[in-house]
Amino acid sequence: MATSAAAPASSSRPALSLPPSQFARLQPHAYLLAHLSPPSTNNQPSIRANGRAPTQFRVTSANAGSLTHTNGSAVVRIGDTAAVCGVRAELLHTEDIASWSVSQATSSNKSPRSADQTEELGEQDDNETIERERAHIEDLNLLVPNLSLSTGCAPGFIPGSAPSSLAQSLSHQILSLLHSTRLVRADDLRIWYQPPSMGPEELERHNDEEQMDVDTAQNDPVEESPREIKAFWVLYIDIMIISLAGNAFDAAWAAVLAALRDTKLPKAWWDVDNETVVCSDSISDARKLSLRGLPVASSFAVFEADAAAGWRAAVIPEAAEMKAQRLARKGGVSERWLLADPDGYEEGLTQERACVVVDKDTDGKVIILKMEKNGGWTIDTEDLQQLVDLSSQRWEEMKRILDEC
Amino acid sequence: MASPLVLLPGDEVPSRHLPSNKSNPLKLGPGLRLLSQPSSTSQNAQSQHVLTATQAGIVTTDAKRNTVSLLSFPNRRYIPTVNDLIIAQIHHSSVDYFHCMVTPHTAHALLGQLSFEGASKKTRPMLRQGDLVYARVLSIGLGAGAEVELTCVNPATGKSEPGGLGPLNGGMVFDVSTGMAARLLRASSSSSEQNESIDGLVVLSELGKKLESLGGFEIAVGRNGKVWIDCSNAGESAVKATIAIGRCLQTVDEKGLGPADQKKFVTRILREMKLVS
Amino acid sequence: MSEEAKLSHTLVVSDLSAKQRMWGPRSTKNRESFFHDAAGPYASPSSLRTTSKTDTRSPSRQSNSGQRKPTTWLSFPLEFSFSTTMVGPTASLSNLSRADGSASFKCPTTGYKILGSVNAPVELPGRRDALKPEEATVEVFIKPGNTTAGVGERYAEGIIRTMLQKLILGRERGFPRRGVVITLAIVGGGAIARGDSYLTLLPSLLHTSLLALLSGAVPMSMTYSAALMAVSKSNVIVSNPTLVEAKAASSLHVLAFSSKGHLLLNESQGRFDFDTWKTVQQRAHALCRGVELPEVDGDIAMEAQGDSGTAEGFVRETVEDHLCRDYAWKINTE
Repeated sequence: MATSAAAPASSSRPALSLPPSQFARLQPHAYLLAHLSPPSTNNQPSIRANGRAPTQFRVTSANAGSLTHTNGSAVVRIGDTAAVCGVRAELLHTEDIASWSVSQATSSNKSPRSADQTEELGEQDDNETIERERAHIEDLNLLVPNLSLSTGCAPGFIPGSAPSSLAQSLSHQILSLLHSTRLVRADDLRIWYQPPSMGPEELERHNDEEQMDVDTAQNDPVEESPREIKAFWVLYIDIMIISLAGNAFDAAWAAVLAALRDTKLPKAWWDVDNETVVCSDSISDARKLSLRGLPVASSFAVFEADAAAGWRAAVIPEAAEMKAQRLARKGGVSERWLLADPDGYEEGLTQERACVVVDKDTDGKVIILKMEKNGGWTIDTEDLQQLVDLSSQRWEEMKRILDEC
Repeated sequence: MASPLVLLPGDEVPSRHLPSNKSNPLKLGPGLRLLSQPSSTSQNAQSQHVLTATQAGIVTTDAKRNTVSLLSFPNRRYIPTVNDLIIAQIHHSSVDYFHCMVTPHTAHALLGQLSFEGASKKTRPMLRQGDLVYARVLSIGLGAGAEVELTCVNPATGKSEPGGLGPLNGGMVFDVSTGMAARLLRASSSSSEQNESIDGLVVLSELGKKLESLGGFEIAVGRNGKVWIDCSNAGESAVKATIAIGRCLQTVDEKGLGPADQKKFVTRILREMKLVS
Repeated sequence: MSEEAKLSHTLVVSDLSAKQRMWGPRSTKNRESFFHDAAGPYASPSSLRTTSKTDTRSPSRQSNSGQRKPTTWLSFPLEFSFSTTMVGPTASLSNLSRADGSASFKCPTTGYKILGSVNAPVELPGRRDALKPEEATVEVFIKPGNTTAGVGERYAEGIIRTMLQKLILGRERGFPRRGVVITLAIVGGGAIARGDSYLTLLPSLLHTSLLALLSGAVPMSMTYSAALMAVSKSNVIVSNPTLVEAKAASSLHVLAFSSKGHLLLNESQGRFDFDTWKTVQQRAHALCRGVELPEVDGDIAMEAQGDSGTAEGFVRETVEDHLCRDYAWKINTE
């Protein structure tokens, strides 16, 4: 702005002005603050530097099934953050599990059939079924998510370097959310074998002498030999963040969700003669995973107006006092803003974060599956309530996007 | 001080605990800071400022000097502060400096080759690795990675002030906690004749009395938690006496013995070591 | 010389020495109930006796007992969960002589025992470009007892670091461009497997870090206290659940409150609705800071009387005890 620099000194305004892009780099906090709190004279609404309203999420798109060599895949893009997720299923034979025969003997001999039937009923699982699910999925590690940031997704991440602590903690968050939401049903991952029914004496002989005289079975229908699990599918869920512009978790989780919704497992069965698991290569036989619900993650950041709060030697008010102040100031100038779906620029300016994962049941009732808040003390109960409401709005939006992809 | 006032970070110092001396400005010790109440919130205009603790500690006030400070945990690592007296060990020397160890695992402190009393190019002390120096912290530099500089001479007068700065010959060094070192320094700096137990410490005067027959002893206390003791006057029992004094100081430190216990312990140790009957 | 052995500064001895304190009403009756009531493998007297070096309980034994009786655990009457809350944690301060600050903390209900050390301010060599020029860098390391640190530890480290960064006054003299390094070793209690929830361990880790920071005299703006809460399948809120209760719960919550009442940290997982969470928050607040009392202006002596038995009161008492012992010479002479 050479013209303004050369302007006559009589003008009382400072002679130096900067283009917005430079202002944003030099004074990022003041730049965002100027956007969020426009002067009251011009009737502008409070808007973020990226043009969004404070509670507006970025444009989200999802595309499933783009990787052909995986069992399921998805690309999710939230603004400039893009995550690719691929799911690969591999077989885990129960005979390869060291503790399998022991744990079966203690836990699952009681009526495995009935347990499976209750599971089909949906949410009314009894405790034993849940425990068996947990034992199978969590103890056998049937879900293996891994998140990679070393794709050169942002200037700080060098390709080929060791996983950063951010990548590791995101991997853990995804794994722990997969476990706590029980998104994947263990029964989808089990490969059963139903031994041909035979009388008790034949069964004994069959086991002891390894004779395969199936034809001799004159079974009575009541005495059914129990089904047994011969193998499990292990889902390797690999997530690559190919472009990182803030809010990696939402994008990564949406990609995992879309990829799992896309995942098809081939029909597999135990082949008695070859003593191995055989898969059908016909696509029509393949079965989709039946996921439990649709958990959608929404992240938020808190932008504080006072940039130098950390420098100021001021008393931090008591929580109750802070609330009273906020109420008193209601309608006036806000001192902090809740920003939905922060981008990279905003993440650099905020410390306090919140993340809410919600789902809705068939009646439309909101269920919270995860709620995190850390890094500051300005978010209180009312704010969290507001964030849950925002997240449930976001859930509708994401459901539409994921259903379309 | 029957029930001491213990503060945790964020706690305010109650105004009734502050010294009421109005003539001097109030001085704040470590662990406290002055915070301003945001003007919009303070209903009562009289308390615009509050004193809050930033560490856990016991509030102590000195009405005479009008100070208030917080006594935090005494077993802290020593962090150099300007004008502290410390005992440093020479690690190696270069052209201009001796490189000294003040605390383990920290960068070496620098001691100028010429910063001794009456030192010149020719008369400077030839210190070797492992030698001990009683020195004053001259400067600590600013920011991370800054070098600590030591001196054994007052640059203004050219004398080793306070007395005794310079190389420590003979004797032995014992480690005590930094809190104990501070107590010892206070106890030895104030004239011990008039007030027998400075900070509840009678061990030194007791040892002095008991060991007078052996020719007394010399002691140098470094703020970095080191005590140097020399009993070379004691003849053949010099080593024994040195160790006895060191043990007394360390035990008093570790167990926090009270004045009566200190006296008892000194008597016991000296008897055990057959120094006095 | 028995006195001498009791107060020795070595770690193993100090675990059992008089340095320990019980949380909650300190009568012998409660002390006994600690041994009898708190059933399960985690709080048995034998586990109390184990020290950091000799903890031989294998993870396999833990998981077996966990699997064997989940149904019986669920049917425990409600008051059982309260009886465990009466048993408080034990802690000792400054038990490592080389570190600037250190603390050990044992939570009786989950059985975890954490040893924490704080070094501050320290130079972080080789990292000068990454250091912030105007404030201290906070680093947290969690070392599991039986394996190397994995993704779960990274996650918990991140949570603790984010929370502490806001509380540590990294702009005080001597701190900018330097580091505050907190190392937390899990020396007792069950192992946390890959993908397990870290929430059961989080309050113990938070309390250990706080005590270690206090003993290291790291400047902080406030202190905090944390609580682990579980909501069982039958919608009963269990304060300070045991590991088995936590595993069977439908949702788990960790909340941390500042000493001025702010909600500093919330980590919730499982299935729950917002009203449940609000109740959980109130219960956790009561557990951490006691029931809400009318504010007494700046009168700390008054407050200190009211909050024994809470997590905050426990921290305060532990620190007060230690300071009073350290400065016994001063308190007695003046």
